[in-house]
Amino acid sequence: MSSLIDVKNLTLKFKTDEGLITAVNNVSFSLKKGEVMGLVGESGSGKSVTAKALMHLNARNAVYTPESKITLHTEAGEVDVLSLTKPSEMQVVRGGAISMIFQEPMASFAPAITIGKQMVEQLQLHGNMSKAKAKEISVEMLDRVGISDAHKRFDQYAFELSGGMRQRAMIAMALSTKPKLLIADEPTTALDVTIQAQVIDLMKDLVNEFHMGIIFITHDLGVVAQTADKVSVMYLGELIEEGPVREVIRTPAHPYTQGLLSALPKLDDLDSPLTPVPGDIPSPLERPSGCVFHTRCSKIVGDACKTTLPQAYQLDESHSAACHIYPKGESA
Amino acid sequence: MLSFVRFILTRAVMALATLIIVSLVVFSLMELVPGDCAERYLAFKNTQGSGISVADIEAERARLGLDKPFFTRWTVWITNAFQGEFGDSCILRVNIADLLGQKFWLSLGICLSALVLAYAIAVPVGIIAAASNNATLNNTLKFISYFGLAMPNFLLALLIMLISTVWFGETLTGLFSKEYRDADWSWAKLVDLMKHAWLPIFILGWSATAFALQTVRALMSDEIGKLYVTAASARGVSGRKLLWNYPARHALGPIVNSLGFDLNRIFNELPIVALILVMTDAGALLIEALARSNDQQLAGAIIFLLTASIVTLNFFTDVLLAVLDPRVRKSILR
Repeated sequence: MSSLIDVKNLTLKFKTDEGLITAVNNVSFSLKKGEVMGLVGESGSGKSVTAKALMHLNARNAVYTPESKITLHTEAGEVDVLSLTKPSEMQVVRGGAISMIFQEPMASFAPAITIGKQMVEQLQLHGNMSKAKAKEISVEMLDRVGISDAHKRFDQYAFELSGGMRQRAMIAMALSTKPKLLIADEPTTALDVTIQAQVIDLMKDLVNEFHMGIIFITHDLGVVAQTADKVSVMYLGELIEEGPVREVIRTPAHPYTQGLLSALPKLDDLDSPLTPVPGDIPSPLERPSGCVFHTRCSKIVGDACKTTLPQAYQLDESHSAACHIYPKGESA
Repeated sequence: MLSFVRFILTRAVMALATLIIVSLVVFSLMELVPGDCAERYLAFKNTQGSGISVADIEAERARLGLDKPFFTRWTVWITNAFQGEFGDSCILRVNIADLLGQKFWLSLGICLSALVLAYAIAVPVGIIAAASNNATLNNTLKFISYFGLAMPNFLLALLIMLISTVWFGETLTGLFSKEYRDADWSWAKLVDLMKHAWLPIFILGWSATAFALQTVRALMSDEIGKLYVTAASARGVSGRKLLWNYPARHALGPIVNSLGFDLNRIFNELPIVALILVMTDAGALLIEALARSNDQQLAGAIIFLLTASIVTLNFFTDVLLAVLDPRVRKSILR
C-alpha cells in the first residue's frame, strides 16, 4: 500500500500574550491508503491540533517550525500542506482530499442553514457541478449513511435531527466529496453508547467502501481497539508511543500508555480497583523539562528523565516508544 | 405559509394586548398624580385672580367626566387613544392631538433615522472589525466607540453648535426655517427639514452607533469562535462567503432583537438634545408636561404614543427574527 500522508517533524507553537506555547513537538507519522489510525491522548495532549494541522486549519496565531513538513499524496501529485497560503489552494486539504468530522455534531452544523444547503455548498466548491446534481449526490449520501427519509432531511436543520442522526449527516457531508483521508475528532464522544456502536460500524463500512484512510482522534482506547489498525499515543504535544493496535493494547511499552490501560475498568474482574494515572496533564505553559511525562511517571529511571527528552525506541519493526526505560542508541 | 400568517396574527394580537395592559398602567399612573385635572385647572385660574368655589370644582369634574368610576374612564380613554384622540390638556386647555400634531411624528422620525444610521454603520463596521485581526483597525474602532459612549450627547450638541456659530456664522437650531415653520408640507419644506434634521439625527445616532458597534462586535466575535465556522472552513468555505453566510448571518438575530431597546434609549436622549437645539419636539413637551405643570393628560398621551411605537417596532422585529432564524420559526409554527 502506498503512503497517503506523511507528517515529518511537525512542531507547532501558538503565539500568545504569555509567549510561544508549544502545542505539538517534533511529531512524525505516516498513514497509508485505507489505513485507520487511532490518535489517543488526554485533553490538551495536542491530538486535535495535530489533526487540524493536516488541513492547515489551526488558528491564526499558530506558528510552524521550518522543519515541519506535511505531505499529502493525491492522484494529481504531492501537496506540501504547510506551504499552502491561499484559500483556493487549501481547498484540496479542506473538504477535498481531506474531510473532518467533529465531536459536537450539533455545533458543527450552522444552525440557521439547512443541512442540504451546506452539503450542496461543499460539493459545488469542490466539483464543477450543478445544484441539482449536488443535491442528488447529497440525498444519496444521506441515504447511504442510514438516514431515513433522506429527501426530507435534506431540507431540515441540524436542530431538527436527533444526536445520532446529526453525526450520520455530518459523516455523509464529510464523505460526499469522496476524500482520501477522513479525520474524525472524537466523533462518538457526544453520543449514547448504543448510537456510538452504530456510528463506529458505519465508519468501518465506509472505510472499506471508499477505501480511505481515517485518523480517529479519541481518548477512548476501547473505540480505538474496535476501529483502528494502528495507534499513536500523544502526551503534551509529544508522540510517545506508536504501533499496531493489538500490540499496543496487549503490551503497552510506555508507562503512560500502561497507565491509561490500567485505568480502564476490566469487565472480567469488576472488583479490582481502578488505577488512574496520578496527577493532571501539566499546562502547556509549564512544560516539564526532560521527558514531559516525568512529573506523573511511576517508573523514573534516573536524572535523565528530568533532563533529556527520550528518543523513540523501536521495540520491533512497527512498535516504538519514547522512554528512558529502553536502552539508548539501539533503535532500529 | 398559512402558519406564518397565523404567527403574524398571533403576534399582532399579543402586541395589542401588551398595549392595552400598558395603557392601563399609564392611565393608573396618571390617576396617581395628586389632584386631578379639574382641581389643577381651577387652581391655575385662581392664581390668575378669579375666585373659585368647591362647587366650581365639582362642576368642572362633571364636565370632564372625572366623577365616573376608574374603569369607565379608562375604557373611554383607551378607546379614544387608539383613534389618536387624547382629550384636552389639563393646563393648556387645547386638544392634545392638535398640540402634538406633527411633533410626535417628527420626533419618532428623528429617532428612527438615528437608529437606522446607527445600525447602517455599526453592522458592517462591527462585522469587519470582529473578523479582522488588524490591531490598529481594532484599536481605532475601540477608541472611537468608547469615545462615543463616554461623550454625553448634550456636550456634542453644544460643541457642534459652538463651532458652527463661531466659524460658519450659522445657528443650527430648530427643525424648520422661519418661512416653512407653519407652511403646508411641500418638497421645499421637506428639504428644509432635512437641512435641519441631520444634526439631531447625527447627535442621537452618535452614541447609538457607539453602543450598537459594541453589540455587533461582541456578537460577531462570539459567532466567529463557534465550531460551525471552523467546520465550514474545514469544508473549504472561505473568505467573504464564509464570513457573511456563517457568523454574520447568525449574529443578525440578536442584533435585530436589540432594535426595540435601542429605539427606547434614543427616545430617552431626545429631550435633552431637543432642548439644546431649541426644537420643540414631543420629548421636550413630555418634560414640560411632567416637570413643570403636572399635565398628566399630556404626559399620558406622549407615553402611550411612545410605548405604542416601541411595541410596534418589537412586533416587526419579532416577525423579522422568525424570518431570519429557523429555530425561532419552527418553534412557533408547531
